[in-house]
Amino acid sequence: MTLLATGIPGTDGSTANCTGEASTAVRPHVTVLVDRCAGCQECVVRCPTGALGMDSHRWVAVAEDALCVGCRQCVRTCPFSSITVEGPLLVAERVEVEEARPEHLVGDVDEIRRGLGSWEEALAESARCLACPDPTCVRGCPAHNDIPAFIHAVAERNLGEAHEVLRRTSVLPDTCSRVCNQAAQCEGACTWSLAGGTPVAIGRLERFVCDNAPVPPPRVSPAVVPTTGSELSVAVVGAGPAAIGAAWELVEAGAAVTVYEKDDRPGGLLGWGIPDFTLPEAVAGRPWEQLTRAGVVLHCRTAIGPGDLDGLLAENDAVLLAHGTSLPLRLPVPGADLNGVTDATTVLQAGKDILERGGDVADFLSALGLSGTGPGPRTISRVLVLGAGNTAMDVARTLRRMDLSAVCIDWLDEQFALVRPDELTEARAEGVDVRFSRTVTELRGEGGWVGHAVLAHTRQRSGSEQPKTLSEQPDVISVDLVVMAMGYRADPAFSEALPGAPLRREANGLPDRRWMASGILANSASEVAFSNPVGTLALGREVGLWAAALPFRDRLWAAGDALVGPSTVVESMTQGRRAARAIMAAGPRAPGGSGHRGPRRVLVAYESRSGHTQRAAEAAAGGFSERGDQVRILPISKVGPEDLAVADFLLVGSWVEGLVVARVRPAKAMRTWLAGLPRLGAKPVGIFCTYAVSPKGTLAVMRRAFEAKGAVVVAEAAFGPGELGRDLPEKWESGPVAFGRELAHQTGRARR
Amino acid sequence: MQDRFAPSDPARGLDVTRNPLVARLVRNRHFQFFLILPNQIVFWAVIFIGILGTTVPGLNFGAAITWYIWFCLVFVMMVVVGRAWCSMCPFGGFGEWVQRHSFWNRSERSVGLGLKFPEPLARIGFLIPVVSFLLLTWLEEFFNIAGPGNPAATSFMVLGIVGSALAFFLVFERRTFCRYICPLTTLIGTVGSMGTVAGFRTRDRDICLTCETKDCMRGGEHGYGCPWYTWPGSADSNLYCGLCSECYKACPHDNVGLYLQKPLTSVVAPNRRRIDVAWGIALLWGLVLYQQVNALSLFGSLDTRLNNAIAFPHYPDPVDYLGIIALLALATAGAAWIVAKLLARRDLDLTTPGTFLERGSRFRTFFAPIAYGLVPVIGADYFARQLPKFFKHSTRLVPAVQHVFGASGTQSKLYTLRLLTNPRIVVVQVSVIALGTLAALWTTWRITNRELVPVSRNGVAIRVVTLGLVLVCGLAAGVLYVLMHAAS
Ligand code: SF4
Ligand code: SF4
Ligand code: SF4
Ligand code: SF4
Ligand code: SF4
Ligand code: SF4
Repeated sequence: MTLLATGIPGTDGSTANCTGEASTAVRPHVTVLVDRCAGCQECVVRCPTGALGMDSHRWVAVAEDALCVGCRQCVRTCPFSSITVEGPLLVAERVEVEEARPEHLVGDVDEIRRGLGSWEEALAESARCLACPDPTCVRGCPAHNDIPAFIHAVAERNLGEAHEVLRRTSVLPDTCSRVCNQAAQCEGACTWSLAGGTPVAIGRLERFVCDNAPVPPPRVSPAVVPTTGSELSVAVVGAGPAAIGAAWELVEAGAAVTVYEKDDRPGGLLGWGIPDFTLPEAVAGRPWEQLTRAGVVLHCRTAIGPGDLDGLLAENDAVLLAHGTSLPLRLPVPGADLNGVTDATTVLQAGKDILERGGDVADFLSALGLSGTGPGPRTISRVLVLGAGNTAMDVARTLRRMDLSAVCIDWLDEQFALVRPDELTEARAEGVDVRFSRTVTELRGEGGWVGHAVLAHTRQRSGSEQPKTLSEQPDVISVDLVVMAMGYRADPAFSEALPGAPLRREANGLPDRRWMASGILANSASEVAFSNPVGTLALGREVGLWAAALPFRDRLWAAGDALVGPSTVVESMTQGRRAARAIMAAGPRAPGGSGHRGPRRVLVAYESRSGHTQRAAEAAAGGFSERGDQVRILPISKVGPEDLAVADFLLVGSWVEGLVVARVRPAKAMRTWLAGLPRLGAKPVGIFCTYAVSPKGTLAVMRRAFEAKGAVVVAEAAFGPGELGRDLPEKWESGPVAFGRELAHQTGRARR
Repeated sequence: MQDRFAPSDPARGLDVTRNPLVARLVRNRHFQFFLILPNQIVFWAVIFIGILGTTVPGLNFGAAITWYIWFCLVFVMMVVVGRAWCSMCPFGGFGEWVQRHSFWNRSERSVGLGLKFPEPLARIGFLIPVVSFLLLTWLEEFFNIAGPGNPAATSFMVLGIVGSALAFFLVFERRTFCRYICPLTTLIGTVGSMGTVAGFRTRDRDICLTCETKDCMRGGEHGYGCPWYTWPGSADSNLYCGLCSECYKACPHDNVGLYLQKPLTSVVAPNRRRIDVAWGIALLWGLVLYQQVNALSLFGSLDTRLNNAIAFPHYPDPVDYLGIIALLALATAGAAWIVAKLLARRDLDLTTPGTFLERGSRFRTFFAPIAYGLVPVIGADYFARQLPKFFKHSTRLVPAVQHVFGASGTQSKLYTLRLLTNPRIVVVQVSVIALGTLAALWTTWRITNRELVPVSRNGVAIRVVTLGLVLVCGLAAGVLYVLMHAAS
């Protein structure tokens, strides 16, 4: 265990000869409950240190305490809770990095958070990683970075390799490692964190890689460089993280990418929404420099409205909407329309420029249009920021850098706050007055200008509960300026083009079994995320990823905040990449029309229990194959978003569950699957079911489910014992085979 | 892994779910509900009729069905199938309905605290349910419930079981009650190992080894995770399969089947002998012998004398009850200890450290296989013990049912009809014991050859001694039945 040798008590063998008591005090002790251990080996395959094995006679797991580091992965993953671990987590102290504390805050834009300072520190930190065989951190990272692999590369002092690993899943490692809320993502899901300890500093290690070796630019593969005129052309609306992810993926695959950005510089939120002291200009600007150099065409100051979509679609094979959420949320309180009430976007955008020029508050006021001449006060010093999330912290810290006082309020209780914990600490250290359990009930004006804010007390008992306003005497504070910084919302102008967006990132039904098996859902994890367990958050994000792969209508995709509402940089970037992959899979459209070139792609998805439905699906699929369509036949549990995205035609079949007369309907798995389907655009769908007595309303249930997702059901059929007789080929011939043939013929003809 | 399970794995052809009709049935989520439902109705009827109905025990439906029919039926099911009763048990069934807040659907969240059974208790395995069985039997005798005496007593007993089951289902997860508490579980588990149903097992272990989700244990789209904490991939006997079919429904790879096996396979074949099961067998053996001894007149005076001595109201005196059972159990264990002492090979170190369940010792190496080998005699003995009631009174069920509807009474012919009478009952009882003894001789022969001969100094001697022990047990039971004159 050289991996863990740094500063860990008891690993040097010196305690091996101690008496039982002394050694259990410093070593973890594993107990397998032999009565209940079923010998399934789930724990054995997941133990990162090889401390677990099987007793081949009794067929139960056996543990070797001397190898155990107390990470509790076995405890989390045992299906029968047959294993317990007592004792300490054998992991070295996390390498702590001091933050920068500027002596003169005003006008200071230097990065506050520092990276790991030396190779020694990086190696020590990377040695804390267990290289877990089923790494929960990877599920916690929205991009699913292969964290153990890149950390291993760091441990080998091979930064090139580390970048190779990272670029498989991320194009913004330098940005993400700075702005990700790691405590609720990768680090929150690190096994040490799930076990109640301090996680590996994944973010800092990722940053170390980027700080010490430049992020490699997109690799445009020369083979695909277009000479034939057959390359894919894609228009991307917006230039934020989702657009970066998509453009990167597309340009590397040789597609022609045109990006339209309404602001005068690209980057979206990365550009103006995150202050330099968190994300330095050089880092934020890097992706677009590389992308434009790689051939992405960028049009700034070009706003695209919903009305322009048809035109874009006519010129391109696909359009990706990644315009983000830029409209600030405003709180509807009395006095909200007073002068001196502004929003986060305005402050951050103005602040960015002003700080670059030294942070003179007079400049700031004039940028806000408040310079002396108006009805407002001559000077401004006390600013109330509504909200205490990350945006509010950015606003308040920007204000502090212009020598203004800032009070942030949030109606959530501090323990359920949504802000990054380190961000909150930093803000407080910079003199921001952050008050939780407060809400503003009224803004009072003086001569049309805001002068006082009435702050009521609130109480929130659990993370899922909405805070209640208390009747207790409210605080009244004097203010000169109020900034609404509760976050952003999507532009409603696009709601028609993107029906259903922003969608809720909540996984329905039983959690994904593989996620459960990994143990990430078993603990509520880090302190930060405890109101929203990190596993549940991560699982919810999968919904967004799934959705990003599916077009809203023919050749129109969306990703990032435009799709799911305000989300993180890494999540948007990953959705962008997902959408890009779906766009590439769909391929260039057919000349002059919709759809793509090449044979029609038919996806036949079935839910079968006894095998009948599967056989019927295969029989019906035959009709499509005969016509030269490209057919895939999959059980619904294996259908991924990309499969749905690229299918030109969908044929779906289910068995019928229920008693003979009561509750007859599609099988439960089918119903769950249908409910979880993302938007299907106007995709044509054929449906069928197989029944024993009567299908009753089964097809209607399926039809309604598809229609609710925007699909068009073009044919349906129910096959009973009459059509599915065992070993009676002539019956099959008149049943599913004929159905498939007819359907293939009709829909195929319509297409040509 | 394949080798490890080869002796206990049933042949592929014995998978009854290869029949599409059976497969359809078992896959149906209503399957278990409809097994439980009739029993549920009967037992609530027992509860209500027992309390509200006639106080004539033989005419009260509640008492009559429970003691004249049900117990016998459960025994037949155990011996023939295994845990068939568990698959239809209304006590666990009721608790499970509440816990899942669903009669048949796969619900996602459970009602109740969902705790795990405390480890120190789980560590003693079957010892808690054996004790709860001893306690229940003692209460039965003390209140003359099974006599049957006052029918309301039967109702309260059943209500007590349903109530405690419900409490356990609400506090703990899965079928903790069935596995760790239920008074019947040891008996059904051990005697059931004679049964011809191996339970639900995986079809292909290689598929399980690559299975990423273990839905059969954790629960999947279509089924719950095994409520009995059994993995069909490693089951080597039918001891812990409650035949609930959840794993069959849950497995996403259609890799579970319901297997038959040759009778007695689960007694003979398992590689892993459990010491808690061995002690359970010994104590159950003590109990059934006690129930034979207590029918002798000699016992009556002993019990009365002890009761006078400790000022206890009436039969059964707890001291002689526990004393006799413990003595008989210890005698069985003692015999094994002596055998171990005399015949174990000296050159082998059979001691391994560990907890109660894990430890290895010379004594355990001999005791566990010997105890398993005795299962058929003990099963036969319990069965024979129920026969008098069945033969003398089972027909009373008809007037008892009629009585619920106001017809019939003790004057009914069926009320006094006896299917068999005294000397013949004894003949049947002794034959049952003889059959059980023969079966036990066979199981013991197999087990001795496989497990004890390799660790014994003298192969012939160990065979003679273990078989002799079985004969002694069978003889004792048989002789006692002759002496009991078919007392119920
Ligand atoms: S606690 Fe971790 S290291 Fe120890 S046995 Fe469990 S999985 Fe292995
Ligand atoms: S995961 Fe649990 S049941 Fe499976 S082998 Fe490990 S301790 Fe035993
Ligand atoms: S991208 Fe973010 S969440 Fe993923 S590993 Fe990097 S810091 Fe963690
Ligand atoms: S970062 Fe944490 S969870 Fe990930 S592999 Fe390392 S120790 Fe395991
Ligand atoms: S779910 Fe099926 S394949 Fe997986 S372990 Fe269980 S029985 Fe085996
Ligand atoms: S889930 Fe399967 S192994 Fe477990 S008790 Fe039910 S039928 Fe038996």
